[in-house]
This record gives sequence, structure tokens and C-alpha cells, in this order.
Amino acid sequence: MNRALSICRGALLPILLVGLWEAGARTGVLPPGTLSSPAAIGAASLEALRDGSLLWGTIETFETALCGLAIGSIIGVIIGAPLGLSPMVEAVVGPTLDAIRPVPSMALLPLALLIYGFGVRMEIMVVAFACTWPVLIVTVSAVRAIDRRLLEVARVLELPWLLSMGRIVLPAALARIGVGVRVAAGIALVVAVTTEIVLNPRGLGYQMIVASQSLRPDLMWAELIWLGLVGLAFDLVLRAIEGRWLARYAAVPVS
Amino acid sequence: MCAQVSQIVPPPRTRTNPEHSALETRRLSMRFGNRLVLDDINLTVRQGEFLCVVGPSGCGKTTLLRLLAGLLRSSSGELLAAGAAVAGPSRDRAMVFQDYGRALLPWRSVWANVALAYEARGGSRAERRERAFALLARMGLAEVGEYFPGQLSGGMQQRVQIARALAQDPRVLLMDEPFGAHDAMTRQHLQDAIARLGGERRITTVFITHDLEEAIYLGDRVVALAANPGRVLETLEVGLPRPRDQLGTREAPLFLKHRHRLFELLLPGTRPHE
Repeated sequence: MNRALSICRGALLPILLVGLWEAGARTGVLPPGTLSSPAAIGAASLEALRDGSLLWGTIETFETALCGLAIGSIIGVIIGAPLGLSPMVEAVVGPTLDAIRPVPSMALLPLALLIYGFGVRMEIMVVAFACTWPVLIVTVSAVRAIDRRLLEVARVLELPWLLSMGRIVLPAALARIGVGVRVAAGIALVVAVTTEIVLNPRGLGYQMIVASQSLRPDLMWAELIWLGLVGLAFDLVLRAIEGRWLARYAAVPVS
Repeated sequence: MCAQVSQIVPPPRTRTNPEHSALETRRLSMRFGNRLVLDDINLTVRQGEFLCVVGPSGCGKTTLLRLLAGLLRSSSGELLAAGAAVAGPSRDRAMVFQDYGRALLPWRSVWANVALAYEARGGSRAERRERAFALLARMGLAEVGEYFPGQLSGGMQQRVQIARALAQDPRVLLMDEPFGAHDAMTRQHLQDAIARLGGERRITTVFITHDLEEAIYLGDRVVALAANPGRVLETLEVGLPRPRDQLGTREAPLFLKHRHRLFELLLPGTRPHE
């Protein structure tokens, strides 16, 4: 009951804004060339859903965003874990990484284009580059924060390196790494869509720039709103995964 | 079922050479920076004995144990385990830490915490699980095998840690004030559990404590350390018969004599003022 009430209250402002928007568009107060009426956007959405272009664009965008996220996360963890474990490694590798990190991922586009040409792979490369950093930074601090006692347990048990990484270091850092991956997921979507808008002829980003350039603001808005919804759903899914699988790794030992 | 379990539990090890002492330190010293923490420690831990080390806080008890485990390297002197120089930690010397809450993996169930000790040795998951449960049953923990450490009481968590230490099938068990964080009643239960275990296995144990009575109750010998720098004051042969019990043993004249002696050594000036 309370929940329903709070949802209603939260929905009040958006409904009001959309109502004003619709009224403004109908009376001609708002410029029709950029701000299409909500009704027109709704119609364009239905059309794009029906002909499958929205769905197809989403699949294409997520294909690269997810692959890039996965590759970037794995690289981030593989580089980050030894950095967090050993001040020596940190001292040797850290400065180089600090020098590479400020390079904007978008600045990699020309290089990626040279290497792979247009298509999936160049987009994945740029997304992966962008996703590596948040995961790497979080992994370094998460591994550094692992209780030394657990590492001593691994030593006394004489666990081989790979086992102590897999059984102790990574699980102990997993909950925090999960947060880094979620941050990277948001970045992955941004970078994928941006790459599609500025360069790569595929996915939702490309569809949006095409709609914009063919003077179809209604379709462009439809895609923009869709993208927002899909991004929200993506974040919710990641949160659910975190809650379901990673929560117990965050358990504070009771003593 | 019983026959099955006895197949899984490995037979007692025979690879130890009885001529060597389990552990031996020769002129062992440890400095942290300028501070001399342990000075010229000469200790011999006999095969199969239960050796207790007592001393005031700051006498380097824990440092000594960490040296014996190989987690620390001494500044000077020698450390031999079964006649061979110690270069680092080994499965042969299991460690039970005082802070069980930090030493158990909170994301692993109780049995999986114990089975961690088997993982380096391979074998199937089912086999590891069975061995872990066999060991937990002996520690009276079989019912909570599927629980997570955070769901258990402190005393139970410490027993889980002891079970894991035993699972690594060590020659020497090193225990760092393992019952220091528990209330008196839990501590007595744990003492009896560890004493029973000693009766079954005769596993060489070095047991650090600041509780003088605990040291006498459990030990075959008690080493008293002085602080600043840590050094050996005296080594007592306890000589109380086993099995011991909380009432009778603690009231035995010999027990009280040892207690008196240790108090004089470690807590001078505790007599009532005239």
C-alpha cells in the first residue's frame, strides 16, 4: 500500500512533464524539428519495435559492450591483483599504467580503426580499454585490503600460487571487484554507443545518428528513451547478480 | 560407515626420525628495527610433546611462534624442524591463530574451510568433503558442517580452525593463544577438546598462552619467557598424570606447586602487602 503510494508520488513529476511537453508540442510552443511530441515518439517507438530495428540495434550494441566489458574486466583483474599483492610489482608497473590511463578511450578510435577496420572488433577494443581502468583500480585496492591473516593461512597450507589466488585472494576481493565491474558496465555502454555515433556503422548509436541526420527527431527520441530503459535494465541485472552471487563474499566475519 | 571413515583418515605418519627433536632453536634472536624482541632463544621441542610457552604480553611469544611457523625470518640463529633448517612456512607445521574470525574464510562453509587443507593435494570434491566431515565429527562439529563460520559461536569457530590445522596432517601444531579470546567456560571446553586430541594423536604441539594455569593444565613442559627482550627464564617439567581433568588436576599439589613457581617467576610482587 505504502509502496504503491510512493510509486504514484514518484511518477507524478514525469507524467506532468510529459503532459506539458505534449501540450507544448501541439500548440507549437516547442520546436517540432527537435522536440517531437510524445505521441509521435510513441508512434515511432512502436514502428521501430515492430520492424525489429530497435531490438537488432540493441543486440549489436550489447554484443560489443558485453564483450568489451568482459575482456576489460579480465585484463583489469589480471593486472590489478599482482599490483595489489606486491609493492614491488606496483613500483615497476604502476608508473607505466598511470601514464597510459589518462588517454581518453575515444582517442583510441583512429588506432582501432587502423587495426581492425569498421565492425565489431574495433568497437570491442575501445570498450575493453575503457573498462579496464575502473576494474583495475578497484582490484588493486581490494586486493591490498585483504586481511594479511588470510594470506598467511595460504602460506601455512602451502597452497600453490594459482590455488591461493583462486581460493583466497580473488574470493576475498570479489565483492569489491564486482562494484568496479558495475561501474565499468555503465562506461561500456557509453563508449559503445559513442563509438557507433561517431564512427562505427552498427548498433543503437548508429541508428540514432541516422535518424537525426534524416530529420526524424521522433525516431531519434524513441531510440534515446529506449537506450535509457535498456541501460537501466542492464544495471538492475548486474545489481541482481551482485546480490545473488557476490553478497556472501562481502560477509564480514563474525567474531 | 566406520570402516569407510578409517580408510579415509590417513594412518599416523612414520616419516619422522625419532632421533631428531621436532623443533629446535639455536641462539635464535629477532629484532624489529632497533628493538630486540627475542634474545638468544634455545628451545628443544621433543617429538610428541605438548610444550606450552607462557610469558607477559610483549615478551615475544607470538613472534616466537611465527618464527617457528616460518612466517617470519629470524635476525640471527638457527631453526631446525626435524633436523632440517626451516626456510619458510610448511604444511608440516600447522598454525592455529588466535583471531579465528580473520583466519577462516567467511565465504566458505565450515567443511569447505577444513577441506581447503586438502585442496593442494588434489582428489575429488566428494572425497575432500568426506574427509573434512570425518575430521569435523571428531571435533564434535559434524552437525554444523554446512554452516558458514559467521553463523557459529566463537568457540566453534576456533574448533573449525583447529580441524583445518589437523587436516593439513602436520608434524607440529603451533597454537597462538588459541583460547585467549573466549570466556572461561568455553575455554575449559576447548582445553579439554585439545587435551583429548593430544591423547588420540600424540601430535607435537607448541602452545602459546598468557594463562599460567592453562599452560600447566595442558602442557608436558612449560617454558616461561621474560619480556624486554624476550628470553627463556625457566623450563618446567609438568609431570602431572594424564588424562587430566578440570577439577582434580587443578587441585593437585603438584599443579599448585607449578602455579606458585610460575607466579613467582612471571608476576613477582603479587603477594598481598603487609
